[in-house]
Amino acid sequence: MGALSRLWALAANTFREAVRDRVLYSILFFAVGVLCLSLAVQEITIGDHEKVVRSVAQAAIDGFGSLIAMFLGVSLVYKEIERKTVYTVLSKPIPRWMFVLGKYAGLVLTLTVEIAILLVLYTGLMTAQQHFPPPVVFVSMLTLLAQLMLLTAWATLFSTFSTPTTAAAFTLAIFVIGHLADDIWLFGSQAQSVTVQQVARILYWLLPNFSLFSLRPEAVHELPIPWDRVAGVLAYGAAYTTAVLSLAVAVFQRRDLR
Amino acid sequence: MAGPGRETDIVISAHKLRKVYRTGFWMRPVVGLDGLDLAVHRGEVFGLIGPNGAGKTTTIKILTGLQSATSGSATVMGRPYDDPRSRQQLGFLPERPYFYEHLSGRELLDFYGRLFDMDAGLRRRRIQELLERVDLARFADVPIHKYSKGMVQRVGLCQAILHEPDLVILDEPMSGLDPLGRALVRDIILEERARGATVCFSSHVLSDVESMSDRVAILVRGSLRGVGTVRELIGDRVVSVELRYSGAVDPGGVELRSDGSTRTVRLEAAEADRAVNTVVQGGGRVVELLPQRETLESVLLDEVERARPIDAERLGVL
Repeated sequence: MGALSRLWALAANTFREAVRDRVLYSILFFAVGVLCLSLAVQEITIGDHEKVVRSVAQAAIDGFGSLIAMFLGVSLVYKEIERKTVYTVLSKPIPRWMFVLGKYAGLVLTLTVEIAILLVLYTGLMTAQQHFPPPVVFVSMLTLLAQLMLLTAWATLFSTFSTPTTAAAFTLAIFVIGHLADDIWLFGSQAQSVTVQQVARILYWLLPNFSLFSLRPEAVHELPIPWDRVAGVLAYGAAYTTAVLSLAVAVFQRRDLR
Repeated sequence: MAGPGRETDIVISAHKLRKVYRTGFWMRPVVGLDGLDLAVHRGEVFGLIGPNGAGKTTTIKILTGLQSATSGSATVMGRPYDDPRSRQQLGFLPERPYFYEHLSGRELLDFYGRLFDMDAGLRRRRIQELLERVDLARFADVPIHKYSKGMVQRVGLCQAILHEPDLVILDEPMSGLDPLGRALVRDIILEERARGATVCFSSHVLSDVESMSDRVAILVRGSLRGVGTVRELIGDRVVSVELRYSGAVDPGGVELRSDGSTRTVRLEAAEADRAVNTVVQGGGRVVELLPQRETLESVLLDEVERARPIDAERLGVL
């Protein structure tokens, strides 16, 4: 119980710090703006209006969620070292793994609350128009959260050894490459050179594949929930996130706090 | 309580502790600690003194688990320094502490109390008690970013002793404080000792170290140059005398003051008899003869001076 309550104290403090950050509210404000704008877009669209609203809303929640994950994640550990607040935490009976996991859990909690707020708003807007979102929309939010957890783990890893600017560049690179993973595979399979093929395959297996997490087509077109895929993607996300966080802990464990 | 020196009575122990930093592009090695041996006994106030760069903060950071030693070993409360359980009964105030500015003083202490796994009732009681003790109760719900430097230091002291630890380590606790703040720190250190806690602190304010410490360690260039009670370190030896006299005579020595009718000079202790005779035989009058003993400051300065050749040798090795 002791370890869990300490972990929770660290997570709750990180969450409290995030929700008292004005930048978070700015991002959330824009996300809410885009969601509301999706209603206006349907007025000038020909065809299935609901699909447009769902598509814009999904993209907004995905995009702004990733922005918050990157923005808060890249300075998660670095800021503690830079501001020297880490001294009074790690000089308490707090192992370093617990510190990293506590900070990470706090950020995931922030993302969960952010997604929940946007989802409630989205559901409210749709319900007001007599179109309650289909269940697949809610499942897609679950896979989105798994995707953001993985992205946050990468940002956390980078924040254990680099400045926020460098960590942001690394995380952005992971974000972009992660969305192009299928293209890397395709590029490798079409390449003539065996070396290029092998490099492309290694990159594909090493780097995250964020497109796996996306259920946007299913959500937009109200397709049945692909449970097998959802289970697979959640397992993939959990395993990959655990690996990246383990690396973050290993890096931070060796770090001297001057 | 068992007497000092017994193994079970040692709360901090360091053996051949060495820390080498790698700095700059070429990762040039710089020695922070050079084979430090140290033992702090239960229930004592232990002062760490030394010039800047002597290794005081490095020692403290290793003992509190913030840095790892390059070689050697250290234990805190009987456990290896890198075992987080060694910090369950440790309270620590870093030099120039920084705290989460989004929290109020009360929230901050509550957070630290949770990290020590204190139950809610005890946390509430201790937080209120301590905030009142350091005169911060009125500002308990004000965000830390609105606190003055002295207030931050006071809340820092509170978090260090919140869970009534057996060992309190304070790094430069008087740094930048006004006389009232320094008096408060002094009082708290003495209260902690009275409670039975061991207090280990570093300071540049040697008069405070001298007045509060049961034992003092002198660190110079990363190694221990002396340890013992203030009396043991300073000794009883009279190093010079200050002679105040009247009359138109010259007993020698270095003039310190002259007020028209009397002159005060400083002389080597061995010159005292001759100087007094010179004054008396010259028709003058001895007003005052004050023996000057060594101070902690003069002992420290001597040790720094003595360490210079060693330092040059050490750099040569690198």
